[in-house]
Amino acid sequence: MKLHYDWRLARVVDDQGVIHDELAWSSKRSSGAVADRLWDLQRGRLSPEARTLYDRFPEAVIDALGAMSDDDWPELDDEESKLFETATPILAKRGVANAAGDTDRRLDMLVSSAAELRASWTTSEARCVEWTGLFLSEVDLDAQRNDIPPTIAESNSIEEAANTLGVESPAHSPSDVEWQALRSHAIGVVEMTARLASHEGAIRDLAEQHVPSLAALIGPLGAARMVILAGGRERLARMPSGSLQVLGAHAAMAAHRRGAAPPKHGAILFSMPQISRSPRWVRGKIARFLAGKASIAVRCDHFGGEPWDEDTVAEIHKETEAIKAKFPKPPKRK
Amino acid sequence: MIDLPKPVKLAWGIRRERRSLWSRNAVKGVSVRGERRKRDGRNEWRLWDPNRSKVAASVLKTKRDASALLPEAASTCLYLGASSGGTVSHIHDNVCGAGNHHGGQVVAVDISPRMMRDLVKLAELRQGLVPVLADARNPLAVAPYIRGKADWLHQDLSIGHQAEIFVRMTSAFLKESGTALLSLKAASERWMEGGDDARFEHTKSIIEDCQHLELLEVIDISVFEEQHTVFHCVRI
Repeated sequence: MKLHYDWRLARVVDDQGVIHDELAWSSKRSSGAVADRLWDLQRGRLSPEARTLYDRFPEAVIDALGAMSDDDWPELDDEESKLFETATPILAKRGVANAAGDTDRRLDMLVSSAAELRASWTTSEARCVEWTGLFLSEVDLDAQRNDIPPTIAESNSIEEAANTLGVESPAHSPSDVEWQALRSHAIGVVEMTARLASHEGAIRDLAEQHVPSLAALIGPLGAARMVILAGGRERLARMPSGSLQVLGAHAAMAAHRRGAAPPKHGAILFSMPQISRSPRWVRGKIARFLAGKASIAVRCDHFGGEPWDEDTVAEIHKETEAIKAKFPKPPKRK
Repeated sequence: MIDLPKPVKLAWGIRRERRSLWSRNAVKGVSVRGERRKRDGRNEWRLWDPNRSKVAASVLKTKRDASALLPEAASTCLYLGASSGGTVSHIHDNVCGAGNHHGGQVVAVDISPRMMRDLVKLAELRQGLVPVLADARNPLAVAPYIRGKADWLHQDLSIGHQAEIFVRMTSAFLKESGTALLSLKAASERWMEGGDDARFEHTKSIIEDCQHLELLEVIDISVFEEQHTVFHCVRI
């Protein structure tokens, strides 16, 4: 005996095709209600009618694909076809709207936007500094670098800017329109700096909620980038720690396939001072160790474990120091 | 006077003129993604670009009867990995026609909400097209939407294990003697010694080993789409 069903009808059919019992959806039908039912079926649940029949015939085998291949299954009538046709877009639209509830997608927008912003900030900021430096030859482009864009943005002339920065007035001044262009460029840089800060603030905030343990271990910005590179928290949590270790080292992994040595670490792990400030010969060891810990951390976060506190993280960092101390000298070349 | 090429009819609403394919537009005056349209008497035809559609590419590249690759009007079609619905719209032109006067059904499944957005918009103008936001690997998620077993199935997913999914989905949804097309994207499969060719061979052997499918042709569409091959099968 088999239980066949779709969104409006359920039947108990035996092997000869004889219908033992059937139940149709009889209460008031609407497109919204059909959408709800389809959604339940899509997730592998039974319709209310099918459930009732299953209670009556507990020995029946549930066959979700049965109605589809049942030759005697009645076709939808005109009214039902209309209901179905209006219900499917409702359901699809609901799914589209619910995509915004997915923190992975939100994090992706933020992280990608921040990455693009940082790329254009770097170019604009460098241009602003070089431009100003052309006129104000006395300015120290390294020590005073961070003061240059806001000073230009707030000054009314290059002479005023020179005064604020504490240097001589320029030998050749820009024309009025030229100065306006330089100034509006500097205003853009200052504005972009603020925008980048607000982006990164939002990322930190979201990452500390979404992956608290991983954020505590490798920093919220790195944690967020790691989740994005892996294609979501779930995928990161299911990743072996060896894959996590080389996240962000695409080029090196491609080279490895063609025979080069494997990469020691990906871009995100390398951005941690524990790795980038360690001598070259222990970086791989520390990266392997941290990747193992990071993969445990993200599993705690994803599968509802207890978030790590500062002590746990401090202990891990102490251990990385121990690894470093164990190998003070580079290995001898063979 | 020059001789105009005589169009070859491949299916109810699909025809070929020399090297180009056209489908009979179900929504007159509207292009789905900016393709060319032309009038022919009372009908309007929409250009089906083989560079953007793997089904169109395989229709042009097949060495067998091209119309065997296309669904008949009024049939039930399942399209796994519909994306934003470019190819789906041409299939719909043929299977359903304007206002679905044929009474066909095209179930278009995709997992990406971004693509579903465009697909829903498309479905609003085209009766008989059913947009489904679901994982195309899961038969249970697709079954509630399809009205019966499919006469025609096309799978175009960019994930690993495409051949295994194809075998599973055809066994669940394809009618006897129904047509099934698998567009295999080699770049989505696991790395394998021997590169893309080895991956195509691997897929071929999986399809040949399964009991319910007969492989009719392996169509090389690399001229139109790199690293892609279409497997044309029929259910036994």
